[in-house]
Amino acid sequence: MQNQFLRFLLWRMVQFLPVVAMATLTIFSLIQLVPGDPAATIAGEYATAENIEAIRHSLGLDRPLWEQYGIWLWNAAQGDLSNSLLSGLPVMDEVLRRLPSTLTIAVLALCIAVIVGVPLGVLAATRADTMLDRLVTGIASLGVAVPNFWLGMILVSIFALGFGWFPTTGARPISEDFWGALHHAALPAATLATGGIAEIARQLRSSLIEVLQSQYVRTLRAKGLPNYLILWKHGLRNAALTLLTVIGLVFNHMLGATVATEAVFAISGTGSMIVNAAINKDFPVVQGAVFVLVLIVIVMNLIIDLFYSLLDPRVKKG
Amino acid sequence: MVPIDDDAAAISDTLGIRRRQLLQLIAAGTTLSLLPGMFARRASAGEAAVKGGILRVSAPFNPSSLDPITSGAGSDHMILYSIYDTLVDFEPATLQPVPGLSTAWEFETPTRLVMTLREGVTFHDGTEFNADAVKANLDRALTHPRSTAKGDLASVDSVDVVGPYQVAINTKHPDTALPLILADRSGMMASPTAFDEPDRNFDRTPVGTGPFSFTQWNDGDRIELARYDDYWDEEIPHLDGIIFRVITDLNTGLRSVIAGEADFVYRLNPQQKLVADRAGEEVVVRSSPTVANYHIVFNYGKAPLNDVRVRQAINYAVDRKAFNQAAMLGLGTPAQTLLPPDYWAHDESLNEFYPFDQDKARALLAEAGYSDGLELQYYSNADQSSQQRAEIIMEQLRQVGIRCVLTTGSNADMFQRFMVRGEGDAIMVNWTGRPDPAQGFLFVYGEQGANNPGKVPPPQDLAEAIAAAQEGVTQEERQPAFARAERAALEHALSCEVAFVPGIEVHRANVGGYEPNLLGKPKFNRLFLRPQEG
Repeated sequence: MQNQFLRFLLWRMVQFLPVVAMATLTIFSLIQLVPGDPAATIAGEYATAENIEAIRHSLGLDRPLWEQYGIWLWNAAQGDLSNSLLSGLPVMDEVLRRLPSTLTIAVLALCIAVIVGVPLGVLAATRADTMLDRLVTGIASLGVAVPNFWLGMILVSIFALGFGWFPTTGARPISEDFWGALHHAALPAATLATGGIAEIARQLRSSLIEVLQSQYVRTLRAKGLPNYLILWKHGLRNAALTLLTVIGLVFNHMLGATVATEAVFAISGTGSMIVNAAINKDFPVVQGAVFVLVLIVIVMNLIIDLFYSLLDPRVKKG
Repeated sequence: MVPIDDDAAAISDTLGIRRRQLLQLIAAGTTLSLLPGMFARRASAGEAAVKGGILRVSAPFNPSSLDPITSGAGSDHMILYSIYDTLVDFEPATLQPVPGLSTAWEFETPTRLVMTLREGVTFHDGTEFNADAVKANLDRALTHPRSTAKGDLASVDSVDVVGPYQVAINTKHPDTALPLILADRSGMMASPTAFDEPDRNFDRTPVGTGPFSFTQWNDGDRIELARYDDYWDEEIPHLDGIIFRVITDLNTGLRSVIAGEADFVYRLNPQQKLVADRAGEEVVVRSSPTVANYHIVFNYGKAPLNDVRVRQAINYAVDRKAFNQAAMLGLGTPAQTLLPPDYWAHDESLNEFYPFDQDKARALLAEAGYSDGLELQYYSNADQSSQQRAEIIMEQLRQVGIRCVLTTGSNADMFQRFMVRGEGDAIMVNWTGRPDPAQGFLFVYGEQGANNPGKVPPPQDLAEAIAAAQEGVTQEERQPAFARAERAALEHALSCEVAFVPGIEVHRANVGGYEPNLLGKPKFNRLFLRPQEG
């Protein structure tokens, strides 16, 4: 068992390397398509062509693209994510400084999404084709459709400016001020959570309906098992695999969706970092941040896989 | 003799009118001599400043650098002003030069400016400020490989240390714009001990003589400054420190002030002023004229805009009043030249030089051989409000038969492609203006001017007028030269000036001591925070 687990972990690590290489190579190639030149940004208002060329040379931007990427990859393999082209700061330090705010929002949003989404999904599934079901489904569709930045502004104007319950902007470091951090993260997390709530409720509903209509559930009913036991012990447990998959996807999506939310709430997290860097073609920053986010996504998927094997014995054998 | 009222209850409109009236008086030349006294620096005289408190400012941009000579964006000033003093300062409302780190200056000959320096000034690291420090700063600005000050200091030949507190700046040709150029980034004095330190990233660890010293910069997040106790002007700083929070979304920045999480936000758009106006008595909304403007830069180094008739046609085709209404809710001021109405160097008789006249535009186009219309490569920044402005202009041009093909990109990208590489025909820029008008004319029309993508030398009449403006010493001597420069630029239609941008700032009602300036770049050095009630 222990051996098997270690092999599983090792296999995951081996898979990890090509994924990261592919992800960063894709990002690198995409950034080359973005118009603009970081050297021109640095050179500023009075830039002359010679001036810009000199800066390009000093940053190594005049080298062939494969060489630029190769150098970056070689350094990254040794744990050095290079320096920002614009600020000259080490990318690793900047990512680590900004990551906690983003993670706080994303994790809190995921908790909200699960806490609200799961009961909604169960409610809709057990009362399928009633008014309540249609209401939940309707709300869920709305949750997917409403853009985050718009919802963020609406929430701010009601709960922050109107009632004054929450701050409108900023973040607190969770390591220093736990409740303060949650207080600041509440509105952005609620904004971010809507999509997740909708996704979780919808998926759980359909998979639960499927389970509840299956033949073994019919058998259980025939045996006279009470409804709540059927639902909690058999229904949810079988729908949990879908639920876990959805949760994993929702979290990964949230990490990306923080971009708009961070702008609305003026949070300097990794989302705003990637946007600014992408606009200015600061590719070491984009790649470094993506590198770390890919790492988080992979770890998240690993955790989900572990849960699978806990919930479903068949996964362990496979 | 009403000083700019800094009372919390002052309504921005009142302020605007008072200022405009004052400026008209000035333009009439009746009160020039009264000015220094009238605009006493302590505009909020009568109200005692309160010591202490941290001012929280919502800054719309992460600075490009906090080293004044490598700073590459006109939006860096608001932070640099608090860390660095300039050799020359300016009157906020008129941009007249007044003493800064230099207490007096004089053109000994037309090409030699002698400056006497303030004594007893120290940099934040303890280094003494003296003539050697000034020379080291100016030499560095002229030679540093990444210096962005070279353009502003193009006329400077050499700097001599005359005495411990006296320097002489030798210029290649007469340049009376120099004092006000030294009120800008080029005149910000940094500690030579600090910038000479090998391996020090001075861009991010600035040391100046200003009322606030640098403590921290979290990139893209915040910049923190602390009061400098040994500041030479004992009256200030009132504040214990300033925190600039980088909030790039202006709507969010405004919300942070309305919610009381920040004290001050600047560079707002007219649309945001409407929101702020409804926010109640806890915030003060200000809108004041500035020298910053939206102008369409032409590349007249190539066809079709190398033909003056086409450029004139565009000037007639643009409906400046409609633009002001549509893009700026009427809060801006229609522009004809680089200089705003009521400004000392401006010639008021030019205010209607190019009236909105589509027939004339069509006639000029026909004369130039484009009776069937013409296609123009129009460039614009990709942000929402820039694109909106582009759409308005493109529609106005379409009505006279000019079809614009739009290309958009980030600010830096557009700058490099249009201004440096010479792509495209026309671009609208939001130009922030400079303290001295000659700086502006050279920046926009000079052969090496950044806003002259064709690198075409200015026509002789314009060149002569700019040179004359660089020779006159007093404003009275220089004004006629600027009027000639304005007229020449208009006759050759070297650009299309569309509208002056209002400076819109919103701050909490308990912020005192603030005085907007005509440059549109707020200075926070004299601000204080009144204790909050309740």
